[in-house]
Amino acid sequence: MIRKPQIFQKQEWLAFLFHRHNNHLASFHTFSNYRSIWIISIVILAVTSLTPLVTATFINHRLIQQAVDAELVLQAERVTSNAKRSMRFFLEERLNALRFIVNELPYYALIDNAHLGDILGNLKLGFGGFTDLSTIDADGSQVAYAGPFNLEGKNYKTQPWFTRSLESDNFISAVFTGYRDVPHIIIAVRSINALGRVFILRATLDTQRLMDILLSYKTNVHTDIFLMDHTGVLQTPSKTHGKIFTPTHLEIPTFSTTTNVIMPESERDHAFIIGYSYIITEAVNTPFILMVYKKKSGVMGTWLNMGKTFNWIIYISCLVMMIIITLVSTFMVNKLYLADKTKAETMMKMEQSQQLACIGQLSAGIAHEINNPLALINETAGYLKDLYHFTEEQQNDEEVMENLDAILEAVARCGTITSQLLGFVRQFDVQISSVHVEKLITGILSFHQKETEYKGIHVTTDIAPETPAIETDRGKLQQILLNLINNAFQAIEANGCLDITVLHLPPGHIAIEIKDTGCGIPEENIKRIHEPFFSTKKEKMGTGLGLSITYGLVKKLQGDIQVESSQGVGTIFTVTLPVKMKKEDTA
Amino acid sequence: MKIILVDDEKKFIDMLAKRLSLRGLKADVAYSGEEAVEKAVQTPYDLAVLDLKMPGISGFALKRKLLEMLPDIKLIFVTGHGSIEKNGNNGHADDIFLAKPLNIETLIKTIHQTIHPDKQ
Repeated sequence: MIRKPQIFQKQEWLAFLFHRHNNHLASFHTFSNYRSIWIISIVILAVTSLTPLVTATFINHRLIQQAVDAELVLQAERVTSNAKRSMRFFLEERLNALRFIVNELPYYALIDNAHLGDILGNLKLGFGGFTDLSTIDADGSQVAYAGPFNLEGKNYKTQPWFTRSLESDNFISAVFTGYRDVPHIIIAVRSINALGRVFILRATLDTQRLMDILLSYKTNVHTDIFLMDHTGVLQTPSKTHGKIFTPTHLEIPTFSTTTNVIMPESERDHAFIIGYSYIITEAVNTPFILMVYKKKSGVMGTWLNMGKTFNWIIYISCLVMMIIITLVSTFMVNKLYLADKTKAETMMKMEQSQQLACIGQLSAGIAHEINNPLALINETAGYLKDLYHFTEEQQNDEEVMENLDAILEAVARCGTITSQLLGFVRQFDVQISSVHVEKLITGILSFHQKETEYKGIHVTTDIAPETPAIETDRGKLQQILLNLINNAFQAIEANGCLDITVLHLPPGHIAIEIKDTGCGIPEENIKRIHEPFFSTKKEKMGTGLGLSITYGLVKKLQGDIQVESSQGVGTIFTVTLPVKMKKEDTA
Repeated sequence: MKIILVDDEKKFIDMLAKRLSLRGLKADVAYSGEEAVEKAVQTPYDLAVLDLKMPGISGFALKRKLLEMLPDIKLIFVTGHGSIEKNGNNGHADDIFLAKPLNIETLIKTIHQTIHPDKQ
């Protein structure tokens, strides 16, 4: 399995949250805590974008509330005021009619039942709402009566309304049942007959007319209009407070000659807006208080529904904005992280290559200086050997010859090391030519023919048929492959396998995979294999330079090298190279 | 066949000369470029083995001077650098290079090949 080069690897979404921490790499990052940058970014964006929205919504809500309240007050005031005027007019009109009768007609006409009946007929015709009519003398005796009830000769001396009607010129009673057991209102005017005696003309009014007038102002189901007396007892039936004569236990509103509207704070009534007015006629105060109850929620229904819809729109907008903010922040922070990561990786690689370059320069210097004394040792030892070799008597001294050979062998080993060290930093001209990877591999494998047969190694090469000839430096590629294949052969035990695979990675890369079934590389060593002088084969003449040179050469050919290994199973080296090498990078 | 060996490492060049003479190749030695030029005035050498890096006249400079004096002279360069920089104006693609430490057999083989390229 070819591991793809880095340029093909998919960039992870949320990489900044789930990355493996690497202390060395982290030291090259500009920012250290991406999680908190992410959270701060979300919070700042959310606060700055949602605060104006929420504030505007809140203010708007308050403004609507105030406008609605003002509208409600206005409505309640208008209804109350109109109803009051009608009530007052209704009562005044009838009271004035009675006053007209007592002023216009002589007393004898008023004590004549038949005449009184005619007057009642005319009143009903002209005004309506009258039930009966009677004349009562100062002693409370009813002297004449016209009407449907048989009340002639009754004495009202003990009745409270009678005593009160004697006290002033005009009188309007509360609603009561009296002798007839039907709710009615008494209106009475006091006058003096030709004999100078006080008498009272009394009429009873039908409460139905009163209720009809009130009902005509009840514009909708959320409005309740009723009358109560100064003690809070209902004078007309109320939808919210019950039947007629029920004590309401309402707080009696402060006396006022004008119409007022209150918004109660109490728990029972806070859903209502209350308009009230004391009904006062020009001639006399009445015992009635006109009450108008308006249910806020009912009247405000449309507004409230609109408000709810509006709130939902706001909630959904906030939610959508939060989602967008989160996504955008995540995306941006991830991009930032990836950019930073790339930068850190580049810086780390630069650091590594700088280290390599430093080590290389140092090694080259040392190698060069060592080569001269080495050459001297070589020649001196060679000369000594020559001396023994060319003069007959000592040439059989085996011990001397063995030691000289040991010196010469040691010098040859040092020479190999120094020449490899120098190769490590050597600046060759890169000579680009068209190279057939297959031929190159076949050539290298032919060097190992003997070893293959001897160890019984099974070698397979699998070259993808569409693999193009690549434009690169033949010598360097040869050295890379030679090093890797040599390493593989050294690692493989008898009867092992060596698989070489070449793949074409369109558009512009090929991958050469060298897989052995050798001893594998322990995990702790895998990071160090490209370091110069790192070797586990010190006893077997390894210099530790092979892979670092290979690594440098691959970089020189603008490629990439990766290694996967598991101990005891084998190692896979993958070299990725461009099909066409760019010329400007050959320095 | 007249050979001159030039290197500022006196001991090295002496040993090399002795070893060559043991193998039947007579060689003069010069410890600097200047000395080599002086000796070349007196003796028309067939071959010079030159160290690349020397104080005073360097290997490549010496090459030019010797070629002026003896146009037919053959040259072998010896260097402490594991590699040979063939770039620049100093060298030529046909120059022969050997790396220090030298293998005496390789040197002799190279000398013979240089002098008699047709015999190969």
